[in-house]
Amino acid sequence: MDRGHMHPISSLIREANSIFHNMGFTFAEGPLIESEWYNFDTLNVPKDHPARDMQDTFYIKDEPGYVLRTHTSPVQVRYMEGEAKKGNTPPYRVIVPGKVFRNEATDMTHEAEFYQIEGLAVGEDVTLANLKGTLARFFKELFKNANVEIRFRPSFFPFTEPSVEVDMRLVGENVPEKLRDKWIEMMGAGMVHPNVLKNAGVDPKKYRGFAFGMGLDRLAMLRWGIDDIRLMHSADLRFINQF
Amino acid sequence: MKISRDWLQTYFEKELPDASVLAEALTFHVFEIESVEGDVLDVKVTPNRGHDCLCHYGIAKELSAILNVPFIPQKHENGVEDMLSKKTDAIVVSINNPLCKRYIAGYLKGVKIGHSPEWLRKRIEAIGQKSINNVVDATNYVMFNIGQPLHVFDAGKLKKQESYAISVRMAKKGEAMLTLDDKEYTFTDAMMVITDMHADAIIGIAGIKGGKMSGVDEGTTDIILEAANFDGVSVRRAAQALKLRTDASERFQQVLSSGLAGYGMRAAVEIIQEIAGGELVGFADEYPEPEEERSVSISVAQINQALGTSLSESDTIDVFTRLGFSYEARGREISVLAPFERLDIVIPEDLIEEVGRLVGYDKVPSTELPVFPRSPETNENFYRSEHVREDLMSDGYSEVYTSVFANSGERAVVNKVGGEQSYLRKSLIPGLEETLKRNIRNKDLLGISEVRIFEIGTIWPASSNKSEHDGKEEIVVGIASEKEGTSERSLKDMAPVLSQEVGYEELPVSATERYQPFSRYPFIVRDIAMWIPGGVDENEVLGLIQREAGELLVHEALFDRFEKDGKVSLAFRLVFQSFDRTLTDEEANQHMKGIQATLESKGLEIR
Repeated sequence: MDRGHMHPISSLIREANSIFHNMGFTFAEGPLIESEWYNFDTLNVPKDHPARDMQDTFYIKDEPGYVLRTHTSPVQVRYMEGEAKKGNTPPYRVIVPGKVFRNEATDMTHEAEFYQIEGLAVGEDVTLANLKGTLARFFKELFKNANVEIRFRPSFFPFTEPSVEVDMRLVGENVPEKLRDKWIEMMGAGMVHPNVLKNAGVDPKKYRGFAFGMGLDRLAMLRWGIDDIRLMHSADLRFINQF
Repeated sequence: MKISRDWLQTYFEKELPDASVLAEALTFHVFEIESVEGDVLDVKVTPNRGHDCLCHYGIAKELSAILNVPFIPQKHENGVEDMLSKKTDAIVVSINNPLCKRYIAGYLKGVKIGHSPEWLRKRIEAIGQKSINNVVDATNYVMFNIGQPLHVFDAGKLKKQESYAISVRMAKKGEAMLTLDDKEYTFTDAMMVITDMHADAIIGIAGIKGGKMSGVDEGTTDIILEAANFDGVSVRRAAQALKLRTDASERFQQVLSSGLAGYGMRAAVEIIQEIAGGELVGFADEYPEPEEERSVSISVAQINQALGTSLSESDTIDVFTRLGFSYEARGREISVLAPFERLDIVIPEDLIEEVGRLVGYDKVPSTELPVFPRSPETNENFYRSEHVREDLMSDGYSEVYTSVFANSGERAVVNKVGGEQSYLRKSLIPGLEETLKRNIRNKDLLGISEVRIFEIGTIWPASSNKSEHDGKEEIVVGIASEKEGTSERSLKDMAPVLSQEVGYEELPVSATERYQPFSRYPFIVRDIAMWIPGGVDENEVLGLIQREAGELLVHEALFDRFEKDGKVSLAFRLVFQSFDRTLTDEEANQHMKGIQATLESKGLEIR
């Protein structure tokens, strides 16, 4: 029997974990059914924020205050709280690859369930420059043999301040033509909002951090030229067996 | 929001660069640009800047700071209190709800309603708005210019006793109003309304839309202008519940400074008097708790520590100056007072962002993190998953992901789009069984003899243990194959116990370069068997078949081979499929005939 095939997102998570592990990041996880407290409140998302609307977020039936997590960010606070309980003070470095949910109709670029990878680094001396350096190294190792450029644009998220959009550009002969020399929007990121640190029991006067959240489905689509996000959950071997 | 370059130009003496240059400046220093059409930019204002940037003034200020081009000082930036000091007792305003922070009514007599002058009509139309009449256009102009929504009532249609009486209160459940566009809206007691107290009639939905009964028409001569401040959440909820989103509600829901109402009123009165005449009788300004100034302190060291830059104090001061922030250096700290409309400037990190984005994030170096002082932990579930994944793949199983949504389960979501499959799966088995069936149909296409699949995924099963609640999250491994059937086991029962000392193994990742889209059309399978003389190469035969069949042959495999009396029998399975249509049997037969003829011409004997 020939060796079976790995789902491309599993392959990506394996690779990402290996790259980030070498930079000192621990793989962390959290529940898929999450409290509004961790999914929104601790992340500085106000009670009346539109992201909490029923049209965007899946609420759990007969369990007020619980949702299918809309991002991997709730694990930021869960992880920091857990470390504090164990008596570990920062520096902290974690990645959180995992499934997230948005209540939306599906099409070629939208899925109700998809994958994200969260990154968090907290310490006394973490900077926005470190975010750039960390992501540059990640993409450089992921897209082997390519020169990677990283660019930030201003943005807004309730859980980071400053907030940025991160674009990436691959330059070089070995880059697939469709990706070569083009700026591609990769993720939202920024410096962790002091309220998030405070909510996690970390003193924002002493520590700072960066955080990012990247769509893994999208990254896989870019990396392999996949044209339809719905293939990820299609369980179709015509797709899977290509990896 | 739509922003016109011509309109922006009114804020500058120096000619602005092209719209495309403006778009780039905004993109890298403040907002994404959705589109540029001619001289109109569609700017995606972020929610933290909805306070001040949903207007040309806000965008012009940003451009002034980014491009470092001087801004023409604005009339509405100072002296507003003087103008509003002309009080009148012809209108009495009462605010009966803390969700309204300020209500200014301005009373003008002898206004002449008519068409707008060309400059005004052009401005309004350039950003996709419809010109209505001079007075209404003037209020819309002020909103798109400086961000304050306004409304005009026809004073002649309100009830006057010694004075007009306007009240801001919550609606009573079931109260209704006909809007300017002839639609009736019925309110709940969570919605704020504007009423004519003497008539006990609702004349406007606070922050959203005005009523028809008090609307301006050609016969209007006396008007009451409204410039108010309504609570953002309350306006958003009401607009959502009424399904009535307006340019006014879009702005109020972002939360506006109550200071802005004064400037808005002043600007509107000036334009109306200029283009529609009329005499200003005076203002009634209910402003129970004037907004306080907020100053925020930061040091240059703090900025550099967060950004990883080495900016100087003058770099920092330069940014604050360009933004029109006033500041005072006190030792190492700089105390900054942002303009009143910048409600987003609250904590030191907000100032760090201002400096970062205006200096430009391209100035932020790329610096790797220092070496982590501890070794990272190994995650137990991931470690086990990786082990199981490797074991199953080496047994020929391929990994699938199926949806967590199912037709039955212990837990469910309340609000799924479409309403189908709103349960969370309690087992991987039904999904895998269905997946197995689907993939078996494609076996010939995939060129595999048996379908073997697995999934490592979360389920929410019924509890086998009374002390635990049903539907607790659990990670399980499900496997399905044609021969072994379908089964699932808990991840923790399937893999070795994690050893932190050993940690993760280096495991192979996909070596695939590019994914190739596959045809969604049905395929057709044909077998062909032949005798070949000893010594003829199988690959040569395959080559003949491939050349003759062309691109419709998507898969081919030798499935049988035996030798008898010095001759070799070969049997190939051929799969035909088109990318753009359903193939007919006829077409497949044609190809098979061609293949047969080719092989026979080479002296092979078809069986």
